[in-house]
Amino acid sequence: MVPPQITITNTIRKLRFEHGEMTQQDLAERVGVTRQTINAIELGKYSPSLEVAFRIAAAFGVRLEEVFSHDSTQGAQQR
Amino acid sequence: MSFREKCAWISFVLLLLLIVGFAAAGHVEGAGFHYFLTLLLAFALLQVLLRLIIRWQAPKDARTPKDEREQLIDLKAARIGFYSLVAGVLLAMLAVHVHGNPWSGLHTMMLAVLVAWAIKFASEIVYYRRGR
Repeated sequence: MVPPQITITNTIRKLRFEHGEMTQQDLAERVGVTRQTINAIELGKYSPSLEVAFRIAAAFGVRLEEVFSHDSTQGAQQR
Repeated sequence: MSFREKCAWISFVLLLLLIVGFAAAGHVEGAGFHYFLTLLLAFALLQVLLRLIIRWQAPKDARTPKDEREQLIDLKAARIGFYSLVAGVLLAMLAVHVHGNPWSGLHTMMLAVLVAWAIKFASEIVYYRRGR
């Protein structure tokens, strides 16, 4: 059985804004990835590894679930 | 456009030129070993020169090691390139079987290597454009 796709959303843009308009380049340097990767994550084109996800959350000083969330309705369907 | 995407573009375009040059070898009078050697040298020199230019334009990007997304793109593109190479080699073997000429098979095999390589870089470009 093919598991249903989970849509992962994030609040990176909002968090960057709240952290003094932090640029993607600044965030990328803090996390240790390229600016293009931060852009891809922000636009939802790429889902990062847990390690990078935690590093992004740490860069903003927030918990992981404050940065990333998934579509709960699809998750409920799965159960 | 990232440094690595630019590198992929350079390799892809130069490989296309190399493929055209290689495929046209049959129509160039006296095209032999030296012709191929010249093509390969020109290819290598242009690669180095163009990569040095883009490295000079964005030294910080060039120094940054590949992150997980870029590694994933590299792996996915390499897989597509590998299957293209397998298909090309099988075609080359078929060419030997049909024509009975091992040199034409060798030529096709070399072409298959170049085309597979170009497909690998084309896939990289597509993945970079898509973001993953």
